Amino acid sequence: MTDRLDRWADPPLLVLASLADEPKHGYAITQDVAETMGVRLSAGTLYAVIARLEARGLIEPLESDDRRRPYRITMAGAEALAQQSERMSKVASVARERLSTRLGWAGA
Amino acid sequence: MRPPLARAALALYPPSWRARYGDEVLALLDDSGGGPAAVASLAWRALPAWFCPPRHLHDRPARMRASLATALISSSMLAGLGLVFAQLTQLQGITVPGHLQVRWAYAVFDVTLAISALVAGLGGLPLWLLMLRQAWREQRTRVTVYLLLPVIAPVTYLAGLIVTVRLVGGASGVSQGWFGVITLAGFAAAATAAAGPGLALRGLQPRGPALRLAATAAGVSAAVMAVAAVAIVVAVTSLNLWARQFAGYHDGTLSGIYLALVLGAAIVTTVSAARGTRAALTQP
Repeated sequence: MTDRLDRWADPPLLVLASLADEPKHGYAITQDVAETMGVRLSAGTLYAVIARLEARGLIEPLESDDRRRPYRITMAGAEALAQQSERMSKVASVARERLSTRLGWAGA
Repeated sequence: MRPPLARAALALYPPSWRARYGDEVLALLDDSGGGPAAVASLAWRALPAWFCPPRHLHDRPARMRASLATALISSSMLAGLGLVFAQLTQLQGITVPGHLQVRWAYAVFDVTLAISALVAGLGGLPLWLLMLRQAWREQRTRVTVYLLLPVIAPVTYLAGLIVTVRLVGGASGVSQGWFGVITLAGFAAAATAAAGPGLALRGLQPRGPALRLAATAAGVSAAVMAVAAVAIVVAVTSLNLWARQFAGYHDGTLSGIYLALVLGAAIVTTVSAARGTRAALTQP
């Protein structure tokens, strides 16, 4: 069941969260997402997401002489990430509260 | 990761996507040492890249050229089907007393086919002349021949038609077998004439106002041609229902196949031309 719920993780959100602190290239994003959020992004998924986020102006590419082009979150991307984080935080708060009432769950 | 596999998966993506992200994806696969699962995921993701290409990768001139080339072929097939319709119905004087829609369908077909050809010709002429001049200046003989095919193919066909009719035709025209041969040759000539400019578009990759004008004219022409297709459907269906004495030409199965071809050609023409027109009219 936990595995199934993991599939709900929204890849664009994971990529935006990964870029929130500093610019990263594709491999660094997959490493960061795997280590900090526990989700493995394949190359196909990652670049489908990067293309979509770039088209919407939520991230932007930086100049690079290397094949490994870094990406940076834009102001619009940071705002979108903040709004979504706020919503998720409320969901998490409600879920924790109700679980603790019902099961006496104290959280991770 | 074996590069040939990764490159094969990347080859499934649209060219603009590959040009923009291809090197980065290969670098990521090199770094992560992805296996067959990574390649399969990459290949699978190519499908949405075709159906929903990211907006910032839109190559509008390429879209216009591809749409024009497709619309040229399909509209020439539709025009050919329309001429077969004209030959087998109104030119034979077939009408159905009490069913005015057949006469109306003939009239609508004649007018719309003429308008459609005129709009396409006038709208495409500047682009054709521009490409002809470019091919001539760059001494690209093959492309010049491609561009002249819309003239060479019909003239050759008409010359062949005159000679054939004189050799095998009788007082009441040609036999059904020869009519079939002449019709198939007509479709081959139309396809050749339409394919020429399409190949030239691919070779010369023109841009600018002439391309936008041609793409817009193709959209208008296709919309008018769609009305001609509706007129064909109305006439053929009416003849099939109320003029069965002309059976042979209006056999149910043959009419069904014919109408399916007309509708198929009309849909491909309209959709292709509409995509090109949309690209022409969208602000960069």
